[in-house]
Amino acid sequence: MLKYADKIRQEARDLLQSGEVDVFVGFRKGTIPMMNEPILIRDARDAEKLHWDSNCGINLANYLTKRKERMGVVAVGCHSRNIVTHIVENQISRDQVVVVGVPCEGMLDRRRIHELAGRREILEVLEEESGIVIRSHDFEQRHNKQDVLQENCAICIHRNPVIWDRLVGEAVKEQDGIDRYEDIRAVEAMAPDARWSFFQQLIEPCIRCYACRNACPLCYCPTCFVDESRPQWVGKSIDPVDTLTFHFLRAYHCAGRCTDCGACERACPVGIKVRRFTKKLEKDILELYGWEAGLSLDERPPLDRYRPDDPEEFIK
Amino acid sequence: MSENEWQPKIVAFLCNWCSYGGADLAGIGRLQYPPYIRVIRVPCSGRMSPKFILGAFRRGADGVWVSGCHPGDCHYIEGNFYARRKFALLKNLLEHMGIEPGRLHFSWISSAESTKFARVATEVCEAVRALGPAKKFIKDLPEVA
Amino acid sequence: MAAKVVSKDRLNSVLSHWRKNYRVYAPVQKDRFVQFEEWEDRGEPVWEFQNSRLSPKFLMEPQSEILLEFSLDPRTEDSGILKERERVYPLQIVVGIRPCDAKAVELSKRNFVSQEYTDSYWVRRYETTVFVGLGCNRPCPTCFCTSVGCGPFHEEGLDVLMIDLGDRFLFRSLTGKGRDILAEMDGETPSADDEKLALQIREEGERHIVSRVSWDRIPSQDLMTLFDAGFWEDVAFSCINCGTCTFLCPTCWCFDIQDESKGVRGIRMRNWDSCMFPLFTLHGSGHNPRAEKFQRVRQRFMHKLKYYVDKYGDGVACVGCGRCVQFCPVNIDIREVAEKMNNYVRCECKV
Repeated sequence: MLKYADKIRQEARDLLQSGEVDVFVGFRKGTIPMMNEPILIRDARDAEKLHWDSNCGINLANYLTKRKERMGVVAVGCHSRNIVTHIVENQISRDQVVVVGVPCEGMLDRRRIHELAGRREILEVLEEESGIVIRSHDFEQRHNKQDVLQENCAICIHRNPVIWDRLVGEAVKEQDGIDRYEDIRAVEAMAPDARWSFFQQLIEPCIRCYACRNACPLCYCPTCFVDESRPQWVGKSIDPVDTLTFHFLRAYHCAGRCTDCGACERACPVGIKVRRFTKKLEKDILELYGWEAGLSLDERPPLDRYRPDDPEEFIK
Repeated sequence: MSENEWQPKIVAFLCNWCSYGGADLAGIGRLQYPPYIRVIRVPCSGRMSPKFILGAFRRGADGVWVSGCHPGDCHYIEGNFYARRKFALLKNLLEHMGIEPGRLHFSWISSAESTKFARVATEVCEAVRALGPAKKFIKDLPEVA
Repeated sequence: MAAKVVSKDRLNSVLSHWRKNYRVYAPVQKDRFVQFEEWEDRGEPVWEFQNSRLSPKFLMEPQSEILLEFSLDPRTEDSGILKERERVYPLQIVVGIRPCDAKAVELSKRNFVSQEYTDSYWVRRYETTVFVGLGCNRPCPTCFCTSVGCGPFHEEGLDVLMIDLGDRFLFRSLTGKGRDILAEMDGETPSADDEKLALQIREEGERHIVSRVSWDRIPSQDLMTLFDAGFWEDVAFSCINCGTCTFLCPTCWCFDIQDESKGVRGIRMRNWDSCMFPLFTLHGSGHNPRAEKFQRVRQRFMHKLKYYVDKYGDGVACVGCGRCVQFCPVNIDIREVAEKMNNYVRCECKV
């Protein structure tokens, strides 16, 4: 993954110099281990600030909506699917964006890495060909990349960008034989009361900071349902029913659109696995309507169309 | 039935053109069904939003029933086609979270189908009554400090 | 000033003893992070942790707090009267609060206890709380408390300071309240070696702070020049306007008041609010003076590092706990922003 950094800088430099884009959105190296910060550059000379490694899990498609300029942006598989969704949903136009596609083998899960390090202070995390090295004052650990990937990356089946104007490397092999819904089926097997407890416990730490919603590229509504007051659909306090309502409705609004990029889980300051809500909808959309989000610029999304013979055994 | 015995509260969202008409016809025909449903008329089943259904449960509804025109007969041509997809996902997600199957019902009832209306109403009321009062997703005054 | 030494394996019995008269809040391991929770005689508090995910500010200002209540039920005595929610404010001890978070409580007094107004809810919770702080033997790489008037063994805001000596804790009282709770404690008098070790640990802890932030020139920076600086757009770009920094910050105190009702009963409550939220400054008229993201981001840093400094001459409204640095989802770093503000010189050249 590190090898792409130079190419990304080069592409950004070229695009800005030629004037093909007004701005370029990428990452710069973060100030703490395992974090990088999204930046927007306008000057080709700033391209050297751009950085790339396996800690680039923040979804840059989140920064594209409502912009009027021509934008260059770096995108891996899932993020490129969000760009497709933006275009399909008329948030940006295709010719507004130049996608620098990056074949991806997965982003690191910094929480997992902290745990593996026994929650001891980490000075730096280096990437090697086969994995990572955690370095601190008094210890060093090596791990295989497979063991420290973000959960969504471990089960990813669209690692290569689906839309791109420039590609920084050769396509990587897609994973096969992946069971994406094992955890969902585990919940489906529970009785209703057990499921209810499961979800209550899941969101118990939620502090309603809305980092999950704000990190998500799909959540671009001018007025989120949370902020509607006449009527107020969901209260603002940390009342457990309100919190569950928020997560339920937000997941529902992502039905057929979520690409499982994991930005929500990355953003959550208290480590809630919010993908447990969206994955269920993703599974249903796939099974009921044969749809995966963000793979086609030409087809309408599943809730924007219908078939006369759609499943309806549940309707009397 | 004594005053203190629990009676289910079921909110029924009926589309104006078909299902509401069917309900009205059932009334004209004096067809009998349990008195537990409270009707909210919507212009079309496609108008339904998950916020309404969740809102009903939050306010203490023991059951929610949504009914619209048969696919192909929608007054607005295709509202119910879109609704069908949304309903499937919503029902699955709500039940995935732990709401008992049997609290949320959907049907297609035309304005001529008064007997079907009475029958489905009876089914829905029975199904909800068997489950007892709703305990999940009820929003009371905030449970906070 | 009193001092006692208690061995670690006896600490739970100290907590149990305190529990007879106080609610004891101690650091507890929750899945992947530490949180202050009411300790109820079972489970082990953790004493080897950097800091809790959320600061203990919720003990004085709960995230959601009911202020007033009313009922319109004609059968009740108080029908139609908006009255304060009746509650008891039990005595509470928070054990293991870090010096940065304790100093933050003192700093918060600026907001809740001013000349013109006293927030009686906050004050009652504050006055019933005893702060038993735990000095930081091993501050994190993101801690910069020493740059902002605090430190790993700073005593401001604490009633008692605990120092981890390895297999035992040294408790030192700093106030009358602290002396009282130490008096009841079953422990030994510290030996000369204990005191020497404590001093050593303290010095080592302070040496372990590697993150330094300069803000010495910010007070003399012209306010409007800083306000109009060009770097705010860059700083703000990555911000996603969530509430992570504000909710995790021990010195952030803003809240929003709202009513909720059900049937004939209702309550008026306050919830933590964040200046990062777009609706924070939305007026009833519909006008929003901070509608743009960069305005909100600028506001947060200017408030903490410039307005507060100018207004009170008492340092910055930040205690260097580092939570915003560690948990900002997009790695906006207050240390960097402070440096930018500190070093800012307006470019006078005509381009």
